[in-house]
Amino acid sequence: MFNYFSSSDQIRKKLLKKARHEVMRKYYSVPFPNPKLPWDMSEVVSLDFETTGLDSTTDQILSYGKVNIRHGLIRLGSARHQLVQTAGFIPESSAVIHHITDDQAREGIPLQQALPEILRLLAGKVMLVHFNRIEQGFLNSACQKFYGSPFLIPMIDTLTLAQRVLSHRNHSVEPNRLRLFNLRNDFNLPNYKAHNALYDALTTAELFLVLEAEISPNKPTVLKNLIL
Amino acid sequence: MEIELVEIRDFLALQHPFDLLPAELLNQLPAKLSVRYIRRGQCFPPEDSKGQNLYIIRTGAIELRDAQNDLLGKLAEGDIYSSECQLIEVNEASCHMTLEDSLLYQLPCNELKNLCENSEDFNHHFEADLTRRLQKAAKYGNHKVDVGIASMTIEIGELIKKAPVTLECPASIQQAAVMMSEHNVSSILLTENGLLKGILTDRDLRRRCVAEALDVSTLVGVIMTKDPITMRSNELVLHALMTMTRKKINHLPVVDNDKIVGMLTATDLTRHSSANPAFMTSQIRKSKSLKEMQKILQRLPELQLLLANSNISARHIGETISCITDVLTIRLIELVQADIGPEPVPFVWVSGGSQARHEQSSHSDQDNALIIDDSVTAEQMSYFHELAKQVCTGLDACGFIFCPGDAMAMNEKWCQPLSAWELYFKNWVQKPEPMALMLSSIFFDLRAVHGDFSLHKKLQQKILRLTFKNSLFIAHMVSNALKHIPPVGFFRTFVLIHDGENDNTFDIKHRGIVPITDIARVLALSEGISRINTTERLKALCRTRSMSKGMSESLQDALEFIANLRIKHQAEQIRKNVPADNYLPPDKLSSLERKHLKDAFEIIKDAQDYLRSRYKLA
Repeated sequence: MFNYFSSSDQIRKKLLKKARHEVMRKYYSVPFPNPKLPWDMSEVVSLDFETTGLDSTTDQILSYGKVNIRHGLIRLGSARHQLVQTAGFIPESSAVIHHITDDQAREGIPLQQALPEILRLLAGKVMLVHFNRIEQGFLNSACQKFYGSPFLIPMIDTLTLAQRVLSHRNHSVEPNRLRLFNLRNDFNLPNYKAHNALYDALTTAELFLVLEAEISPNKPTVLKNLIL
Repeated sequence: MEIELVEIRDFLALQHPFDLLPAELLNQLPAKLSVRYIRRGQCFPPEDSKGQNLYIIRTGAIELRDAQNDLLGKLAEGDIYSSECQLIEVNEASCHMTLEDSLLYQLPCNELKNLCENSEDFNHHFEADLTRRLQKAAKYGNHKVDVGIASMTIEIGELIKKAPVTLECPASIQQAAVMMSEHNVSSILLTENGLLKGILTDRDLRRRCVAEALDVSTLVGVIMTKDPITMRSNELVLHALMTMTRKKINHLPVVDNDKIVGMLTATDLTRHSSANPAFMTSQIRKSKSLKEMQKILQRLPELQLLLANSNISARHIGETISCITDVLTIRLIELVQADIGPEPVPFVWVSGGSQARHEQSSHSDQDNALIIDDSVTAEQMSYFHELAKQVCTGLDACGFIFCPGDAMAMNEKWCQPLSAWELYFKNWVQKPEPMALMLSSIFFDLRAVHGDFSLHKKLQQKILRLTFKNSLFIAHMVSNALKHIPPVGFFRTFVLIHDGENDNTFDIKHRGIVPITDIARVLALSEGISRINTTERLKALCRTRSMSKGMSESLQDALEFIANLRIKHQAEQIRKNVPADNYLPPDKLSSLERKHLKDAFEIIKDAQDYLRSRYKLA
């Protein structure tokens, strides 16, 4: 993994030089947020994917949901939910989780169209996820596949933050406890009945506000204290 | 944009006043919100809010205090904080505090303004004037009235459909008869210069003209009934029925401030008398024994339930039940007198407390007294003791239980000649001791029920002469009236009392109704107003210097709203077959009711503060 602490923006510049595809050049041309500034000076995009499975090389993205945090506030007006077309059928094992059927997926947009949109939404911002391997992994695979570039972004992971907060409270943390659903209950956050990428992105954003306030109660901490 | 945040919209749709927004505006609302998080023990609203946002509590709790650091209330899930968006200055601490970690929805004031401009219902909620909100609340649920049950508790005016048939005097009997035939009516009203002078009915024509072989050219004034009993159009149909029954008449002219509005006939009433109150009163009047009465009165809680179910206002239900109690009392007196003989000297049976104020409910206890003519001898007193004992026992047997404070005619202390009563009141007014003040809610609200009404009238005039502008007495009464303090508000399933105390039940009578009744009484006494009913007292007070029109109307609305809630609560208990009480569990209140109730508390508190400063009480 890259070390953002000193040089993430320098790596960005290198990747910009190497990028062949227009979409990647656009993405990497926007400077990364300054990690030494308080986190709320940067825009944070809470992003969630529904996928057909956990393996980014074989499984596919079914939908994405996102909501932005600007100046420390979750802006519900920025909420988006988008279905993505899949090649082939959706395996039943994943359909029972995300409730996206083949028919619905056909109404989505192709990944080739969704990907530039997602990259545009993320350019120059911090990506907020719960369990970084999914979103980062799938975006990386897709960027490699379509544009021949790796995907790099400053990232905050609420799962890692939660682990930090809970172990700080002297809890022995069972892995199950760190699931988004369980953390939401632990921190007394709204219980959304629907399970889709947008509500998960929103819950992740809410959870992030809680964890950040726990880590730094009096004033917003600097970004580098939060990113992976 | 499609509604992606359906669940947030759905959450908002459950919260008052957002529930009032049309779907289109509500759908757009989530996108205008920001979510923010404030940890426990932090300042609220947050500094960066800069006084420009409304907040909806999604999870957590916030404590609100005023500039003097007194508790104003607590906010929990679904509650709204809108002070920053209100144009009026609020006496609030600059920094409230979150009691728990709180997730808040933040809406900019300018967005709120947009909503207000586009939805009239929604706008009403945010109008600074609490009064208008509460007036609206009092009207909630009043649009659907079941005709069958409601008929006796509607106002007379609603039954008057036709213009009155009148004839200006001088006129002949024949002219009157011709006019009655032309209009196909059984009675005619006779006027002089437009003012009601008399009434002529078919029966009068038969008995006083035809049977007497009187010349039809004779002036009608000779055979008409002069100065007939009249009703006002805002009185209850039930009152009309009782008057007709008592006076054995079938026609009642309806007159408002000298203007003849119409004629109410017994036929009009029969047509509308599928109602139970009418049936019950006529049954009571016909009853021959206590046993029969008990059987009829068993149905009183059921009647209260029926009335409440028909969305009849608490005020009219109170009147109805008081009327039935009156009829019962009268019938009991008649039956006892049939047994022990007529009274040796004139007397009047008076009711006190809620019965007198026409604010009774089916589970009220009895408060009453006897005022006897001063000519009564010591031996004759035993007659009245016996009468009182039997009537009070009868009332108790019929469900109006003995007064726990013994404020009843069967207590010899309250069965006295007029002069003794005058002395009582003189002492109470001159030396307002706690005991006297305790009795004030009963004996300063007296109403004549049966007997020689002039005895009561004399006493009442005496009392008002004693109290009118008597600042020492009034000050004592005021401090007594301030004893029952309304709660600050609600917090989840608790009622907030003074500074942070919680209570999970809420005595709606002593914390809501009694404070208003007390305020109305003391100011009515100080202004020499003879009205007994609280609403009527408040109406009369706004024409005096003691109370502004605005405060009078606010208190009337607050009383109406609280009393309606109480009736609803009791109806629910009667339905579940448990004894009706005044303890309202806060968690049974809807979010709308909580908010209106809180408004009502504020109105009461304002009125109490006003009294406190007017009479310079600390």
